[in-house]
Amino acid sequence: MNSELYIEVVNFLNREARLLDDMRFKEWLELVTDDIVYRMPLRVTRERKDGSNLVDEMTFFEETKKSLITRIERIGTSSAWAWDPAPRTRHFISNITIENVRNENELEVSSYFMFMKHRASDRHSEQLFGQRLDVLRKIDGQWKIASRTIYPDQTVLPGMNLSMLL
Amino acid sequence: MINTAVDPKKLEEVKEKIAQGRMPQWILNNPAIYDLEMEKIFAHAWQFLAHESELPEPGCYVTRWIVHDPILVVRTKQGQIKAFLNSCPHRGAQLCTADFGKKNTFQCPYHGWSFNNEGSLIGMVAGDKVYDGQVMDKKEWGLREIPQVAIYEGMIFGCLSHDTMPLEEYLGDLKWYLDIMMKRSDGGMEVRGVPQRWVLNVNWKLSSENFGGDPYHVATSHRSTVELGISPQDPLYSGYGSQVVLNNGHTVNVNMGVPGLKKPPFQGLPQEMWPMFEKNLTKEQYRIFENCTVIVGTCFPNLSFLSPMHGAEGHLHNYVNMRVWRPIAEDQIEVWSWFFIDKAAPEEYKEQAYKGYIASFGPSGNLEQDDAEIWTRVTNASKGIMARDKDLKYNNELNYMMGIGKMEPLQDWAGPGVAYPTCYVDFGFQNQYRFWLQLLMGEANLQAPAQAAQK
Repeated sequence: MNSELYIEVVNFLNREARLLDDMRFKEWLELVTDDIVYRMPLRVTRERKDGSNLVDEMTFFEETKKSLITRIERIGTSSAWAWDPAPRTRHFISNITIENVRNENELEVSSYFMFMKHRASDRHSEQLFGQRLDVLRKIDGQWKIASRTIYPDQTVLPGMNLSMLL
Repeated sequence: MINTAVDPKKLEEVKEKIAQGRMPQWILNNPAIYDLEMEKIFAHAWQFLAHESELPEPGCYVTRWIVHDPILVVRTKQGQIKAFLNSCPHRGAQLCTADFGKKNTFQCPYHGWSFNNEGSLIGMVAGDKVYDGQVMDKKEWGLREIPQVAIYEGMIFGCLSHDTMPLEEYLGDLKWYLDIMMKRSDGGMEVRGVPQRWVLNVNWKLSSENFGGDPYHVATSHRSTVELGISPQDPLYSGYGSQVVLNNGHTVNVNMGVPGLKKPPFQGLPQEMWPMFEKNLTKEQYRIFENCTVIVGTCFPNLSFLSPMHGAEGHLHNYVNMRVWRPIAEDQIEVWSWFFIDKAAPEEYKEQAYKGYIASFGPSGNLEQDDAEIWTRVTNASKGIMARDKDLKYNNELNYMMGIGKMEPLQDWAGPGVAYPTCYVDFGFQNQYRFWLQLLMGEANLQAPAQAAQK
């Protein structure tokens, strides 16, 4: 395994998560390609004989760059109430593996996420966890996300909203 | 009998307050009221379970809920829809925990009793050797059927009471408005995928009343979309049109959009579909549908619907979103949200409409995120000594006065129900809460013929 490449990927994903938690969304947008496909299918409970426990036709995110920009611009308005006061979020990214090297400029990467959010003076925190499958593409020496599919492990989302990107 | 610690005299006072457009805040985040609602409303009301398109073939099943009762909904070998308590009659184990699937036999993992999808007990481990046929009659130990199951335009409802009026009578005049959504196209509507589910720490009535009677909240709660230029600048924009008050606490809002602002007919549905609408709807329904922007409302108690015109990336699309606000506790619901689209719509249109839904609604929706935040704030502020004082000594009443003394019903509204010349009125709330209270107090029940909408 190319450990230099692996470290690059780990650094990239950690830095990307940091930008989201620091609410540096404009900078985060620079880390996604113009043709990004960003999706979050639903997890369902199925008998094992029935195969996959994911439903692809219904999702929680179904984004292009344009719709991601709209989401982020909304946060910048004066009346995105879910964001003002802003909750505290933390993306814990781990179990990072390079699944496939398509070529020197394109990788398939898997990571686990544990996302936590605390709002106002709640006595509970919201917690979401699962796996992400990314296609990372190197453009002008900078890795970017060309595709992200987020697979939650929860069938019923325990949080009030998905106001944050994962 | 559920222990209900609510003083009937206090409910009588609530009744007087509702007539004045006031709502004592103590009814909102209150476990005793929750218990009373279970006993008087949810044990008797029709509850939306699924849509026929979710069970396309014999053997298909979905597992759903009526509050805390797990429900197994199946399509039998004969093609009929049936619903059972999802609990093995032997010792009570939840029979099926999968969300959906297809099979003809359900076996309990506890002791191996097996049932077919007609609900009959068809097998027991060593049954003949251990059960005396005189003592135990297998026919008595099939799956327990939900007392009533009925379907309206593909929508499957269940009811936990044999005595409740038939579904169509319960829906009453709401059917006319449901038809504009569910009946408009050949082949009807289909559910895409499965419903989204998420948890909100809010009382179910907040969501029901919001969809049922609150276009007034749109301009402020969703002001961020105005700032983005997605929604019109006019602060009255979601008020133009009519709020319509119906029987049995049902309410619907028909938005017509800002006068003079150009908008596509039929909420942006493609022109090739329009002849179907003319064929399938009455002239009056057709005309309303042609000119409206949003239809949003609530089927009492906790089924809401939203047929908007929203855009993904500049184009406006319509779809139908159905919600069940499942009341887990006095301060928590589990939201179920279905995306419906016309079977007959072009595939490309279906995709774009879907993207529009995800952009605006569902837990990640640009509009929905803020509703969740705001409703949570209401619930959080309604739990304390001041909010819950039953003598109202803290002036702990909420305001539902909009339109009282100011707005009179329209005389020329083309549809059924009592319609007002604007959606910015609180008569829908009054209608919902009046019926809600009548049920809690035993002054109305769901056996009676449909309650007429009250002015």
